[in-house]
Amino acid sequence: MPHETPTGGFKKTSSGKRLTGIIMNDYLQLHQRAAEGAFVVWIAIVVPAEIFAGFDNVVYAVPESHAAMSAGKGVGAVQCGKAEKAGYSSDLCSYARIDLGTAMDGGKDSPSFGMPRPHLLVSNNNNCSLLAKWFDVYHRVWGTPHFILDIPFCYEEQTPQDFAYIRGQFADLVRTIEGLSGQRFDEAKAREAVCLSGEALREWKRFTSLAQHRPSPITAFDSFVQMAPILTSRGTQQLADHYRALADETEEQMRQGVYPVPDERYRLLWDNIAPWHQLRKMSGRLASLGANITTASYTYCIGSLEGTFDMYAYDGGDPFAWLARLQNFSVCPHGMALRARAMRQAVERNGIDGVVFASNRSCKVYSLMQMDQMRFVRDELGIPAVMIDVDHADERKYSEEASFVRLEALLETIDAGRRGNGMNSGNPSI
Amino acid sequence: MNGILETLSGMKTGGRRLIGCFPLYPPLELLHSFGLTPITLWGMRDAVRDYGTGDRHVQNYACQVARALTGFVIDNGPSLFDALFMYNACDTLRNLPEIVHAGIRETGADLPIFRLHVPALSPDRTGAKDYLRDRLRLLMADLERFTGRPFSAKAFAESAALYAKQRSFCREIEALCTGGKMPFAAAAPLLERAHFMDVREHIALLEEAVTHHAGLPENGSGVRVLVSGIQAPPVDLLRVMDASGLTVAANDIATMARSYGTSPTGSDPLDYYAAFYFDHHPCTTILPAGDRRIKLLGQRVQEDGIRGVVFFGEKFCEYEYFEIPYLQETLNTRGVATLFLELGADDLANLMPLRTRIEAFAEIVRGDSV
Repeated sequence: MPHETPTGGFKKTSSGKRLTGIIMNDYLQLHQRAAEGAFVVWIAIVVPAEIFAGFDNVVYAVPESHAAMSAGKGVGAVQCGKAEKAGYSSDLCSYARIDLGTAMDGGKDSPSFGMPRPHLLVSNNNNCSLLAKWFDVYHRVWGTPHFILDIPFCYEEQTPQDFAYIRGQFADLVRTIEGLSGQRFDEAKAREAVCLSGEALREWKRFTSLAQHRPSPITAFDSFVQMAPILTSRGTQQLADHYRALADETEEQMRQGVYPVPDERYRLLWDNIAPWHQLRKMSGRLASLGANITTASYTYCIGSLEGTFDMYAYDGGDPFAWLARLQNFSVCPHGMALRARAMRQAVERNGIDGVVFASNRSCKVYSLMQMDQMRFVRDELGIPAVMIDVDHADERKYSEEASFVRLEALLETIDAGRRGNGMNSGNPSI
Repeated sequence: MNGILETLSGMKTGGRRLIGCFPLYPPLELLHSFGLTPITLWGMRDAVRDYGTGDRHVQNYACQVARALTGFVIDNGPSLFDALFMYNACDTLRNLPEIVHAGIRETGADLPIFRLHVPALSPDRTGAKDYLRDRLRLLMADLERFTGRPFSAKAFAESAALYAKQRSFCREIEALCTGGKMPFAAAAPLLERAHFMDVREHIALLEEAVTHHAGLPENGSGVRVLVSGIQAPPVDLLRVMDASGLTVAANDIATMARSYGTSPTGSDPLDYYAAFYFDHHPCTTILPAGDRRIKLLGQRVQEDGIRGVVFFGEKFCEYEYFEIPYLQETLNTRGVATLFLELGADDLANLMPLRTRIEAFAEIVRGDSV
């Protein structure tokens, strides 16, 4: 993860150092247990990993998370290049290219030495169907079974029919793992993992909600970095403890008057996946301009239902029911009206001055509503917005200068609005 | 033949109720049985030259199909269509209905949009068939309300029979290409008209073409190749293939073989569409069909004496892009030459580099056959 930067922005705190240890330990454990004979599952990020806790010896790896880490560590383009050399188009999602490049080269150049080869692939199609196509590559090359979770897209809130359909597929997944691994599923263990995830998400929400304060004690970049163990340590006490400590530490920093952007003049919202290769640079440069991306739809949606960033708490009942209801928590499977509703909530609650739409060539599902969302933000929420081109993990497709020209223009538009001749006075959006 | 816009305008002024369907494989028979004329809004290269309207709403790294559809429907939808239909064919298309709807409303008009979620599961998975049946029942209820007419099993059976006949003729046209009696450059535009015509009128066109070409002598002396992709490539490129000594003997194109390759029977729409979607002709967008696609391509290659496969990659179609490297490798291992060409909205104005590559590929494949 990035180191402390002298120019401001997010800093490596004790929670940051603890995070590094957690991630390192997660990958070490993954490799070790796989080597000792554990049943290995590769999953898409929103596949409910708590289910695997119901088995004695099932471990899971998350290729998207590994790809994000690789990009953050500066090896994204290297791994992408390997996949491209093997014929995979540079127009494909950079997470996929990083993952394919890593797998094809036996984990070389990976910060975690890659991931142990899976016995089962579990993808889903609500974040994006391409995960199924991506995992199919391994299915064909390695002959690994591939289980797809079919999760209907939410143009409106999840219907009871969709809920029942999803819930039923989780039971199918359990049966599939039982059949392939020879292990028996213990629902009590999965329930315990769900309880711990619920606890962790409550703390996560406490942490992200601190962005409501002025100045904000956090940046969205903190949340980008700190979301990693939600993907690798889900359903563990370690995760709940970490997020509790993270929220506590952040509150303590507030009491001490320590803020990432003390001279916070612009409070921004980021819409899309994090630009993993730019976290340090972008946050530092924005901080030097007095700008703080305090809020991100990408990370603030975690633990929420579609159309809101509020916590959806576990009630102690059927653990699969909670997982099924939360299965659409991420923004990608949400229609425009739901995205708009959640964005309005975040803008109003967190006092957002402007929105940065990161048009992400590697994530069409997140990006292909943004042009209309920009009009919504401008016309309905009355604040300016800007669109910048990014690729979440392939830095070759990102231009810092082109992006900052537009980001600086956004800040100028906010200033103009404050002087009374901004967009509300008839100036166009950027 | 008239352009798409003229054809659709003529149908509209002739009193038809048109329903614009997002690609790829909408339930045409069901829509037709309610008295609607379904139009599948594929790339429309002859109708959409300017992507200005679409580009106001969709980034230019969406595929040409999505960009063209968005612009065409916003600009022309309210005057042409009575309604729209979409299903979860791909990630890009699933994002579009609200974008299109918002664009239409900006113009002061409105159009109802019907939606269907087709399970991306194999039929043996728990709940897959039942879920599809539930979704279809809802769609049928919506269509009943919209059209003011009740569902009729008789009307559905008649519509299904019409589409079965159309698909059968399409397969006959393809067989004429395979047999060297009809150049693919002539067949492709005719087959793709299926999406923009009344099914009866298209059947008449197909029947006429079959009758005409069936009596012609075989002229398939070229090296036999298969073309694959989402949309047929521009006819100019197909002519280059003919002129280069390549005979397109088979296709794996979504607007063609993948569309007419499935023809269930029966008058119960719930059973019909379970068969239609779960046993559909393999397509990269049908997630559980990936393994079947590889087998089918291998079969076509063997049965039709295919020496080369040309992949016309739809620019930014990640579904295709994930499969093509493996397909190429598999085919190459079997001694089949492959060529990958990319076609995007911005590439259509200058086909010369693609022509050169086709000619070079033809030289290689012909050399193999000497």
